[in-house]
This record gives sequence, structure tokens and C-alpha cells, in this order.
Amino acid sequence: MTTVKPILLAEDNPRDAELALAAMEEHHIADKVVVCHDGAEVLDYLYCRGAFASRQQGNPVVVFLDLKMPKVDGIEVLRTIKNDSNLKPIPVVMLTSSREERDLAQSYALGANAYVVKPVEFHQFITAVKELGVFWGVINEPPPEGSDPIK
Amino acid sequence: MQLLVHWSIERRVLAGFGLVFIGIVIISAISYRNTTILIENSRLDTKSHELVQLLDSVGEALGAAESGHRRYLVTGDASYLTSYRSVVEQMPEYFRYLRGLTNDGTEQQTRVATLEQLIAKQLGAEARAITLREKHGYEGVRHLALSGAAKHELEGIRSLMIELDSAEQRALLLRVAQSTGSTRNTIALLGLGALLQLVLLASVYFLIHHDVVERRRVATELAKRGELLQAANKELEAFSYSVSHDLRAPLRHIDGYAALLSKAAGETLNDKARRYLQTISDSAKQMGQLIDDLLVFSRMGRQDMLRTTVNLDQLVKTVLHDLRLDLQGRTISWTMHPLPEVLGDPAMLRQVFVNLISNALKFTATKPKATIEIGATRPNSAEIEIYVRDNGVGFDMQYVNKLFGVFQRLHRNEEFEGTGIGLANVRRIIHRHGGRTWAEGALDQGATFHFSLPLAGSLR
Repeated sequence: MTTVKPILLAEDNPRDAELALAAMEEHHIADKVVVCHDGAEVLDYLYCRGAFASRQQGNPVVVFLDLKMPKVDGIEVLRTIKNDSNLKPIPVVMLTSSREERDLAQSYALGANAYVVKPVEFHQFITAVKELGVFWGVINEPPPEGSDPIK
Repeated sequence: MQLLVHWSIERRVLAGFGLVFIGIVIISAISYRNTTILIENSRLDTKSHELVQLLDSVGEALGAAESGHRRYLVTGDASYLTSYRSVVEQMPEYFRYLRGLTNDGTEQQTRVATLEQLIAKQLGAEARAITLREKHGYEGVRHLALSGAAKHELEGIRSLMIELDSAEQRALLLRVAQSTGSTRNTIALLGLGALLQLVLLASVYFLIHHDVVERRRVATELAKRGELLQAANKELEAFSYSVSHDLRAPLRHIDGYAALLSKAAGETLNDKARRYLQTISDSAKQMGQLIDDLLVFSRMGRQDMLRTTVNLDQLVKTVLHDLRLDLQGRTISWTMHPLPEVLGDPAMLRQVFVNLISNALKFTATKPKATIEIGATRPNSAEIEIYVRDNGVGFDMQYVNKLFGVFQRLHRNEEFEGTGIGLANVRRIIHRHGGRTWAEGALDQGATFHFSLPLAGSLR
């Protein structure tokens, strides 16, 4: 097996990030998780620049994207990913507090692969994050690296 | 005056237009009459002029006849009688004309009749003198030859003819005065009519102008209000967005860290401390529920409404199916009257029935046998009323005004759970459909919730 592909978690709120990591810990996938604290950091990671210039090449297995983030918001990040032919195959899951119809519609229109509303209740939240991590990080087969059928 | 003050602007305008219109009609009628008089007068004038001329001709003819007969009496030359004879022949024709020209005024007619008699007498006297001259020669008429026959009649004739002439001239002058008066009158009236029409036109212009300006003003005002409303709506949207996103995050953290704490230190905590942690979690969950309910309520007010035919019978059936879990283990006697079809938003009306029926289920839970009745009445042709009646714990009528308020509850949470948003949602939905909501009940004797829907009404 090659090196394990990381899960990219974009979450500006450190508490939410900690809770999410706590949830994934139970399934021992927490060590796969890379946490970014705003949209600009996510883009830096994806394009291997700035603090991530020296990281190992390759796309994350999935991006969990919060909508409301400083600097570059989730919708903007989503638009960039889905407009770049190299990044486009990465599954993007919106993980947000907002249940607003507008956000749902806009996310799906831009090509989000899933939309999950963070439950208030911790147990539900843990279950949700855990299942998401297991599904996208373990069960789901990620797209092969560098093979763009459109090219 | 009192009446005028109470009249609406439309009635006053109509009354004003009516008055002006009547004025114009009267002026037109008077002008028409005046013009008729003018035409009649000019006809009479022509007749008078003809009469005066004819009188002159009669006078001349008479003079010619008289001088002719006198010359004959003196000379005995029969050629002098030519003009006399033609006058005698023409006289009846003259008088036919004269009578024709004077048939309007009786006085003049009498004069003409007298004149005819006098002239006949004169001509008769002259005829007799001529006969005398023929039979007895110059000597027989010597006494007549110089003065002529019936000298006396001739004077009467002359004075009568002057009388006729001057009477006709007087009538003529009178008519001229009358014509001048009525012409002046007509001109004045036509001027007044033109003025009235000008007033009418001006007021029509003013009214139209006023109307157009008013409409423009209202349109601008409406547009301005619309913009304000849109801005307010945007603000509300931003508010509910931030409520949904920002307020939920700390709640999640409270619950999450409480859970993590109880997991990390659960073994070392005593029962009291564990209960505290549990209470922190429960409160956070409850507030999460409140926020969700508030968001639904806010969305109910903003969401675009559909307007389709909704079969309420069918709607209630699906609602009961969805609530079947709540029905388990309950003894409920249902009375379902047939419900009509209405015009409205199916999802919103469904929410109304979900709220009302789950309320009925909730507040009859303490009764051994629940009775729930759903039906419709039709108080008038404009709307229908639908009610949901239960035999549950009911409520005190003095709190009836609190029932439909946001987060207003009449029971403690330990008795009946809920956030108190359900009936507020019902009221908001029914208001948006153009209907009303009300309730009646008594403590421990059940409650009835009513709402009305307009039948062909407009949706707001």
C-alpha cells in the first residue's frame, strides 16, 4: 500500500475542529485528518503553496468544508475546486450549521458531493462526523490520481 | 350645505358636471329660440317692405286713374281712360296681395278692408262720372271736371294709406329693436355657454391632471415602500442566517464538551455532578430546538407561497399517517366530517393540520379515552371555517389571547413538552392565506381551534 491519503477538514472554529477530531478518534482515522482554519489555507494546501509548499503531492481523499470561514468562504473554495480540472474529482462534503435553502441550492449547484447540517446534539454530531469520515475516508473509493478522462 | 359636505368627492364632481351640463342645455335652448325669432322677424320684415312698396304702387295707380278720368271728363278723349281701366282691372289683384301681406296683424287687415271699400267707392264714383260724360257730354260733368269725382273719398284713402304705412313702419321698428335685443341676448348667452364649457374642460383637465399626479405619487410611494420592505426582508434573512449558523455552534460546543467531560471524568464524578452535566446537555438541546422552531417560523413568513387546489380530506389522511407513531397505545375516538377543497399552499396547510392535530393528541394524552373531531362549517359564501375539537385538558379562556403568540405556553414543560411555536405558525400561515384563527375552551373540558380560509379570496 502507498501512503494513506489525508482527509482535509476546513473548520475555522477550533472547538468544532476538536469535537470533530474527537469523533474521528473513535474510529482511529483522526491521524489522517489535516485541519485548515480558513478558506485561504485550504487553497494553499490544495495547490501546495505557502505553509504547505513542501507537503507530499496528491489530493486529499475528501474535503469537509464549512460554509462560513474567514478570508475565503466555503462557497468560494468550492467554486475554485470545481472549476479546476485537477481538483474537480475530489469529493467535497459541506459540513455546516446552516440549513438555509439558499446555501443548500448554491452548494449543490456548484457541484458539492454532499451537504450535512451539523446537529446540535453531541451524540448525533459525533455519529454524523464518524460516519462521514468512515464513508469518505475508508469505504468510498477515491478517484485515481492524475487520470482525468476529459483530457 | 351640510349635505354637500357629506358627499364623496365623486358625487360632488358628478353634481358639478350635472349643473354645468344643465346650464349648457338651457343656454342652447334659449339660443335656439332666439334664432328662430330672428328668422321669423326677417320673414316679417320682408313682408312689411313688400307691403310698403305695394301701398306706394296702389297710391300711384289710384293717382293715375284719377288724373286720367279727369282728363277724359275735360277733353272727352277716350285714350285718357286706358290707365283708368287698367287700374280698375288691377285693383282686385292688388288687394289679394295686400290681404296676403297683412294676414298676421288684424288691425292692418281691418285697415286694408276699409281701404278696399273706399277705393271701390272712389272708382265707382269715377265710373259714374265717365258714364255721365259719355251720355251728356262736357256739360253733364262740368261741375266735376276740375275737381274730379269723389274728391272727398280720395282724401280718406290717402290718410288711411298713410296710417297703414306708418303702422307697418312702427311694427318694423319694433321688430328691429326686438331682433337687436335678442341678438345681443344670444351673443351673451353663447358667451356664457362658451365660458361654461371652458369651465367644464378646465375641471376635466384638472381632475385628470390631479388623478395622474396622484397615481404617480402613489406609484412612487409604493415603489419606495417596496424597496424598504425588501431591505427589511434582506435584513431579516441575514438575521435568521446568523441565528441558524452562529447561535447553533456554541450550543453544539456546550453539549459536546459536556459529553466529552462526562466521558473523560465520568468515573470520578458523583451522581450530583453527573446530573449537572446532564442538565447542561439537556438545556443546550432544548435551545437548539427553540432555534430550529424559530427558523421554521421565520421561514413561514418569508417563503414564497404556492396557490393550488388542496383536498383537505386527503391532506388530513396523510397527516394522520405521518403521526401514526404518536397514535400507538392510545385510545382515540375520531369524528371526521367531510372537508372541502380550498385554494392554498399544500405544504403550509399541511403544517397547520400537523400542528393542530398533534396539539389535540398531546393535550388529550392524560385522558383515558381521547375524542377528536375535525369538521368544517360555511358561515357565508366568502369563506369556510375549519375546526379541530378535543376533549383534552383545555385552557382558561382568560389566556386565550396568549395561545397564538410566539413561545407562549399555557403549560409547564413537565406537563406537556413543546416550545410554544406551533400555534404561532398556524396563525402566520392562515394569515398569509387571508384567513383568521381563534380558539375556545375551558379548563379540563377540551378545546376547539378554528381557522377560516377565504373561498375565492386573494392570497397575500
